[in-house]
Amino acid sequence: MTKTLEIRDLWVNVEDTPILKGVNLTLPRGEVHALMGPNGAGKSTLGKVIAGDPSYEVVRGQILLDGEDIAELEPDERARKGLFLAFQYPVEVPGVTIANFLRLALQARYGQEVPLTEFYGKLQRAIETLEWDEAYVTRYLNEGFSGGEKKRNEILQLMVLEPAYAILDETDSGLDIDALKVVAKGVNAMRGPEFGALVITHYQRLLNYIVPDVVHVMMDGRIVKTGGRELALELEERGYDWLKEEVGA
Amino acid sequence: MNEIATSLSLESLRQRSKQRGEPAWLAAARERAWRIFERLDWPTRKNEAWRYTDLDPAWFALDLEETRPAELRQRDELPRAVRERLAESDAEAALVFEDGRLVYAHLPAELSAKGVVLSDLAGALEDHGEHVEGALYQAVTETGLQGPEDKLAALNAALWGYGAFVYVPAGVTLEAPIGVFHYAARPGKLSLSRTLIVLDDNAEATFIEEYLSEELARTHVAVGELLLRPGARLRHAGVQTWGAGAHHFHRQRALLERDAVLLDLAVNLGGSLARTEVASELVGPGADSEMLGVYFAGRDQHLDHYTTQHHVSAQARSDVYYKGAAAANGRVVYQGLIQLEPTAQKTDAYQTNRNLLLSREARAESVPQLEIAANDVRCSHGSSTAPVDEEQLFYLATRGIPRVQAQQLLVAAFLEEVLGRVPLEKLRLHIARIIEGRLSAS
Repeated sequence: MTKTLEIRDLWVNVEDTPILKGVNLTLPRGEVHALMGPNGAGKSTLGKVIAGDPSYEVVRGQILLDGEDIAELEPDERARKGLFLAFQYPVEVPGVTIANFLRLALQARYGQEVPLTEFYGKLQRAIETLEWDEAYVTRYLNEGFSGGEKKRNEILQLMVLEPAYAILDETDSGLDIDALKVVAKGVNAMRGPEFGALVITHYQRLLNYIVPDVVHVMMDGRIVKTGGRELALELEERGYDWLKEEVGA
Repeated sequence: MNEIATSLSLESLRQRSKQRGEPAWLAAARERAWRIFERLDWPTRKNEAWRYTDLDPAWFALDLEETRPAELRQRDELPRAVRERLAESDAEAALVFEDGRLVYAHLPAELSAKGVVLSDLAGALEDHGEHVEGALYQAVTETGLQGPEDKLAALNAALWGYGAFVYVPAGVTLEAPIGVFHYAARPGKLSLSRTLIVLDDNAEATFIEEYLSEELARTHVAVGELLLRPGARLRHAGVQTWGAGAHHFHRQRALLERDAVLLDLAVNLGGSLARTEVASELVGPGADSEMLGVYFAGRDQHLDHYTTQHHVSAQARSDVYYKGAAAANGRVVYQGLIQLEPTAQKTDAYQTNRNLLLSREARAESVPQLEIAANDVRCSHGSSTAPVDEEQLFYLATRGIPRVQAQQLLVAAFLEEVLGRVPLEKLRLHIARIIEGRLSAS
C-alpha cells in the first residue's frame, strides 16, 4: 500500500471562479510538510477540499489517500479513512460536550464501541501534553472559547482521533507564543512513521516549533515551489514578491 | 353537523352515566357539555387558534372506546412496551390503561397510609368522592381557548370514559414520580381520557403521563386538570409517543394558587397528528409556572402546540419555552398567548419558541402573542425558525461522524436547553432515544 496523501492536478471552482488551478502535492506518512503562500493563494481552500467541504466544486483531479481516490467521498467517510482537518475557525456546537463528541467520533473512526477506560486514557494523555484543564472536556464544543482555546481543542481532537494524515489550517493564527508552543508540542507528539501532516501557515513562526521536512509554496492556485526548511526562512526574510517574479505568477 | 352523533346521543350518554353509577352532578355536567358539543361546529382554519391545522371530523367518527371495568394484572403480564417503560421510569406508583381499561395499579402502602390517592377516576368517584366533586371540571370545562365554548373540550367533558386521579394531602412530599401509562392496541377507536391531579397545600409530587402504541389508526382526546393549592409543587410531564396513524388531542390546564409552583413538560413525538394545548392560570400571588415543550416531527407528522399563560393575580411568574425540530416533510406549529388581566401587576411572563428544520420540505409555524392589560409588568416573547447549521454538520463530519448521527447530535443539543431544565434523567434519555430512532428513519 502506498502510504501517501497525494493530490493530482486538482482544479476547484467556487461559483464558477477557479481557485485551485492544477495542484500537485505528495505528503508521505512520517513527514511534516508546510504549505505557505500569500493571502488568497488557495491554501485554506485546498485544506477544505481535501476534507470534503461541500461548498467547493472539484472540476478535475484526484485526491489519493493511500492510493484510493477519495474525491467523491463524503467528508465523514474521508475522516474514517484517516483524514483530519484542524479548522482555521473551529465551529461552535452548543449543547454537545467535547467528551461526548470525541467518544462518538472515536467510535465512528473505529466502527465499534471504544472502551471507556481506553477513551479516557487517550483523552488524559492529550490533555496533559497540551497542558490543558480537564474541566474543558465537559464544556460544550468550542462554545465561548477564546481563539487560543479553540485551536488547542483542535489539537486535542487530533491527538485523540490519531489520523493518518492531518491538515492544520492556519492553526497558528491568533495564537500568542505560549499557546503556539503548546499546540506545536501536541503536533510533535503525533509525529512518527504512521503520521503525515500538512501545516498551512502564512508565517514561518510556527515552523520554528513544528519543523517541516518539506516546504511548499502556493500562489494563485498552484504549488509554485517546493524545497526544504530553508525555503520558509527565505520567505520570512524576503517575502513573496521575489518568488512571484521568479515563477511569473 | 355531528358525525359521531350517529352512534351517540343524549340518551346513550345518560344511559352510560347511569350504568356506571355516576353521581347526579357528574351526569348533569356531562349532559350540559353534550348539548354544547352538539350545538357547535368543528373548528376550522378560520379560527385563529386552528389556523395551521386542518381538523377532519372523520377522525372523531369512530367507534367509541366504551368504559370497561378494571381487569388488574401482574406487572409481568402487561404489554411489553409498557413493561419496558415501567422498568425504565423511576415511577414507584403507577397506573396502566390498555385501550381505556385499567389493567395495572400500584401505590406503595406507605403512600396510601399518608393519604395519597392514585386510582382511576371511576374508582375515585366511589371511594374518594369528596376529593373529586368540586375539583373535576374546575380547570378544564367545555370552554375554549379563545371562545367561551369549545367543541373538543365539550366532547371530552361529555364523553370521557376513563382517566387517572391523583390526590396528595397537605404537606406530603412524594420522592418518586407517579406514572400513568396509556397503552392502545385496538385500532379504529375514539377514546377519551381525563386526568385530575389535586395537590393540597404545600404538597409536592412528580407526575408523568405517557401515551404509547404501535402503529394504529385511532383518535384520543385527553384532558388534564391540575389543581395546585397554596404552596403546592408539581412536576408534570406529558409524553405523547403514539404510533403512526394516531390522532391525539390534548388539553391541559393548571390552576396555581398562592406560591404554587409548576414545572410542566409537554413532549410530542408520536402520532400522525397531535394537537397539544397547555395552559396555566396564575390565580395567586407568588405562583410560578414554568412550561416547557419539546417536539419532533418526522415523515408525515403534524404536531401543533398552543400554550396559554393566563395571569389573573399580581406578582406571579410564568415562563414558556418550547423547542422542536422537523425532518422530512414533518410539520410543527407553535402558538402561544400571554394574557395579563388588569389585576396582574408585577407579573413576570416570558415566552420563547425555537424550531429547527432538518430538510427543505420540513415546515414550522410560530406565533407568539401578548395580550397585556396591566402596566407594571415584565413580559417578553420571541420565536425563531432556522435550518440545521451546515457548518456544524461539516465540522462534525470531518471528525468521522456520519450525517444522520451528526443531525441526531445537533437535535439533541438543540433540545438540551429545554430538557436540561427537567430534573428527570431517565425521561430525558427516553426522549433522546425516540428522537434518535425517528431521525434514523426519516
